Amino acid sequence: MAVKVAEEWLNICGGCEVTILDIGEPLLDLLPELNFVHMPVLMDHKYFGQTGEKTEMEIPEADVGIISGGVRNEKEKHVAEEMRKKCKTLIALGSCACYGGIPAMANMFPLEALYDKVYRDCKTTDSADTPSENLPPLLDKVYAVDEVVPVDVYIPGCPTNPDIIVRAITSLLEGKEFKLEERSVCDECPVKREKKASGGEIKRTLDSMEFKQGEAWEKTRCYMEQGYLCLGPVTLAGCGNKEEDGVTVPRCIKGYMPCRGCFGPIRKGANPLVDMMTAISSIGLDAKQVPDRRALLNRYIGGQNRLRPLPARPK
Amino acid sequence: MSDEEFEPRIIGFCCNWCSYAGADLAGVSRLQYPPNLRVIRVMCSGMVHPNLVIDALTKGADAVIICGCHLGDCHYLEGNVAAENRKEAIDLLLEDFGLEPERFRLEWVSASEGPKFAEVIREMTEEVRALGPSPYRT
Repeated sequence: MAVKVAEEWLNICGGCEVTILDIGEPLLDLLPELNFVHMPVLMDHKYFGQTGEKTEMEIPEADVGIISGGVRNEKEKHVAEEMRKKCKTLIALGSCACYGGIPAMANMFPLEALYDKVYRDCKTTDSADTPSENLPPLLDKVYAVDEVVPVDVYIPGCPTNPDIIVRAITSLLEGKEFKLEERSVCDECPVKREKKASGGEIKRTLDSMEFKQGEAWEKTRCYMEQGYLCLGPVTLAGCGNKEEDGVTVPRCIKGYMPCRGCFGPIRKGANPLVDMMTAISSIGLDAKQVPDRRALLNRYIGGQNRLRPLPARPK
Repeated sequence: MSDEEFEPRIIGFCCNWCSYAGADLAGVSRLQYPPNLRVIRVMCSGMVHPNLVIDALTKGADAVIICGCHLGDCHYLEGNVAAENRKEAIDLLLEDFGLEPERFRLEWVSASEGPKFAEVIREMTEEVRALGPSPYRT
């Protein structure tokens, strides 16, 4: 019998849903095994009955629930709780669901400050009251899904790698647990590391990097050693696919860009901001030159209290 | 703790070879210094990762001090140089976490500097007392 799947998107751009499509041919093999019972991005299924006649939110029972996106407002919180009730296994898909994602950068400011910025202090629009009618109220900050309801499987990435979705769903179909290995991007990165200190200036990715396209990865020098800020040391591995020659190359590295850290911390409770600052100072780069450190190094992982408004200093 | 006077909680990482012995000397010489310091003995000041400092400050400590051997005297030759390099990163991190720079100190205390150890702790306790509790303390 086909496994029932419910999918729900919360505070998200929709990229992770596109990733499900992007699975490509393996999806054809998987589809007969799956029965999508609820998926707002694909199907018209209303929460309160097709004509809005019901008073309680209704999501059909399912074996596997997939949630993409973090939790920003009361409605999303309600949906997440309902999904947890109806689904036996809950998957958090994408960095927003796992860690808060890009929207969680808003956690650096209190909610009132955001309202003021958007509705009152914006120079190009007329000042207005915060809209409240027919809109679910915002929560005080952006939450990762596991801050609201327990999550069984994490698939991070912005967007994630289709291959991981396949692996996760396949192992669930076989009744096995799925968990990404606790390794860093550097652990699987094949580039050449020569010596630690590159010294001094942190270069911007606009400056040209030293590489020859098509050359073997063992001959390309580590981007960090070239002086670019690469979040590989503090980021969970898993984004890369095995190439034909058997080498696994992290996706950004493959595109000749340093890692942006979208897979999040290597293990629960790690703090990439602190770890990265240590790494930078230990290899001899000037940590002061990292622009907007707090936001940059927490770009995808602002939920779970990693980004919060700074405590007011007593004057 | 509303009416009581605020007593800072200070975590001190002291290296086994110089500063811990220095603290010991302060003790056996019966030098008085405030009881606000909790000493943690580590093998070298160079092994104190910024994570430990930030964790302490965000989970209940009001200040952190790392004490190590004077530069050039390190038992492991260059451990305290590593500690000094990390100081800059720690200072930036304090800024990122919204903490006052006075809440962290790196001091060199040798095994024979008991009086200096007591003096440093006295000074730091008063400074932190004036700052008040860490904003992360609940």
